Amino acid sequence: MTGQVLPDEDAATGAIRELFGAAAVPARITYGCKRECSIDVREPEFALSIPYLASRKFVLIGLFCVEGFREGAGHSLLYVFERKGSILILVRNLTNAQATSIAPVFPSATWPERECRDGFGIEFDGAFDTRRLLLHESYPAGFHPLEKSFSNTPVMTTTTIDAADEYPFRKVSGEGVYQVPVGPVHAGIIEPGHFRFSVIGETVFNLEIRLFYTHRGIEKLAEGKNPYDCIKIAEAVSGDESVANATGFSMAVERLSGITVPDRAWYLRTILCESERICSHLGDLAGMLTDVAFPLGASQFAVLREEMVRENERLTGSRFLRGMLCIGGVNRDIPAEALAGFRDFIVQFRKQCKVGFSIVLSTPSVIDRFSQTGIIRKPLLRPLNITGPAARASGGVVDMRVNHPYGIYDRFSPAPHILRDGDVLARFTVKAAEIMDSLDLISRVIDAMPDGSIKSDEPIRDGCALALVESARGQNLCWVRVQDGKISRYKVRTASYCNWLALEHAVPGNIIADFPVINKSLNLSYAGTDL
Amino acid sequence: MVNAFSCLFKKKVTETRPIPDEEIERLGREIKREIDARFGRSLAIRELDAGSDNAAEIEINNLANAFYDVERFGISFVASPRHADVLLVTGAVTHNLEIAARKTYDAMPSPKFVVAVGDDACDGGIYKGTYAVLGGADNILPVDMKIPGNPPTPTQILTGLLALMRTAGKTP
Repeated sequence: MTGQVLPDEDAATGAIRELFGAAAVPARITYGCKRECSIDVREPEFALSIPYLASRKFVLIGLFCVEGFREGAGHSLLYVFERKGSILILVRNLTNAQATSIAPVFPSATWPERECRDGFGIEFDGAFDTRRLLLHESYPAGFHPLEKSFSNTPVMTTTTIDAADEYPFRKVSGEGVYQVPVGPVHAGIIEPGHFRFSVIGETVFNLEIRLFYTHRGIEKLAEGKNPYDCIKIAEAVSGDESVANATGFSMAVERLSGITVPDRAWYLRTILCESERICSHLGDLAGMLTDVAFPLGASQFAVLREEMVRENERLTGSRFLRGMLCIGGVNRDIPAEALAGFRDFIVQFRKQCKVGFSIVLSTPSVIDRFSQTGIIRKPLLRPLNITGPAARASGGVVDMRVNHPYGIYDRFSPAPHILRDGDVLARFTVKAAEIMDSLDLISRVIDAMPDGSIKSDEPIRDGCALALVESARGQNLCWVRVQDGKISRYKVRTASYCNWLALEHAVPGNIIADFPVINKSLNLSYAGTDL
Repeated sequence: MVNAFSCLFKKKVTETRPIPDEEIERLGREIKREIDARFGRSLAIRELDAGSDNAAEIEINNLANAFYDVERFGISFVASPRHADVLLVTGAVTHNLEIAARKTYDAMPSPKFVVAVGDDACDGGIYKGTYAVLGGADNILPVDMKIPGNPPTPTQILTGLLALMRTAGKTP
């Protein structure tokens, strides 16, 4: 292996040529419509690939199981890698429900492997963590809801859990170490999750997060349904990412069917995506300021958020922008005068945001709490696939709108805001800058808005496709397979899913009282993780 | 250079924002009258996410922003179920949360009221009859009021709370 990639070759094709020889290119590769390289690999080849891909700085962005994907194979594991805007999908066909773990090489495989085990009953040899993930203690042993043989019906669970069956948290011991269990029901109006702090004095020594309390069976719910009916399921993945997940789902179905979305629809979708980002970021800024007891700033941003949400309602009829996205375009047009009104609103809104930022960033007590708090270090980004503002505040140049442009983002590229400190202050600053950026982007999109149809009426075909979108929290991955006109597998992996592990690394070394603000600075979605 | 201190004297920011929402003001006044009369001037609410997609949580949180500011009507959101009169349940109760949801309800002192917020909490919504959920909140808790919506707006939530205030304790 020489490590050389031919000049006109993308990183994924280069890796395949190096690994499996020039004869494999293009004979064994299947290219997706965005030049995603997909290749079926045998076990010895797979074993060879993993250390090679790690050494070539590929990031594992997705790992999931599909049943009946290949003729004769029961389960197939799809490993999705990313490097320099290029996607490589290794398809590993299993003869029995047994596979080797890659978690020791790619730590971001730990949760997905546990998920495949819960969902499909696949055992991973060499995995260092084999606890259940999606299904908590109340579910019966041997229950694997994502198997095709299971039809989605109520299941008998128990509410009496023996002490021996309780979830074993990692043991942290030593002189003066004590445990602080928090959750799943928290003190504020937030989603449920359990945080197990191991603390020495006031300083957190270790944090273990247990989630999946809101596991609602989203992936199974979509199976067997008409794709058009699944938009509302995609919107229910996470309330504040409704547009992003609906966009990802629609994009995947459009790609596998070869549907071309009209330009005007993409312009409208972009306005919705960016509005959603602005609302989410404003909520985060307000939350961070609440958690450092600075209500003056917090209420500013809460008010701005409400104004934006009301504007969303005026434009689309929904405060969460729901019901707008559809496969092939958007459901309703937004009239020109409403768009012009929105652009005028943005001019004023921009000024108010600026005032808010300057108040906060010139308040020493806020800076004191934000600065050097909850640092996420850059070397963690690749192994854990940390994305979104969390990565951009730690020096990572990752933004799906730039790395894997979709829709009209190749023409309306956002300026990347990259900071290096990786602390709460950096995340606050990046999010603040991104709000301004999204406002500008919306104005530019409205100015260039073309006329024309808002929906394509091309039919949905069978097939499978991958889509990556940049939600407010980062990279959301969506993979859809349609068989006989029905969804046969809907895999969604939100940015929160990966970024939760960043929180486990950001908190140790900080005092427990800073946990809320660190948590809020990432503002991860529990629902979007638990599915 | 703007700083927080100077803002205190500038007579703006928190002072002049117009709140043109007559609907909210009317609802608020009526709720306050009921709370004053029947709940000793203060209604303590504990929110419980029993498997929501977080949209309902966002709207409930919004009740505290300056547009609604429901604390002026006597409504406060409390950190512990032990302090609560009302439990606002969101989401189609998941199996993974069933135990925690029951414990939360049990921790509340009587008399206590349960309100299901959002379509999922009302009857299971899109998750009805699937493996991961029990369905509506009334499967495990005695629900006094249902506020449908996907998610219900802050105004609809307030309307629902007002309806609860009016019926609370009157029905057998």
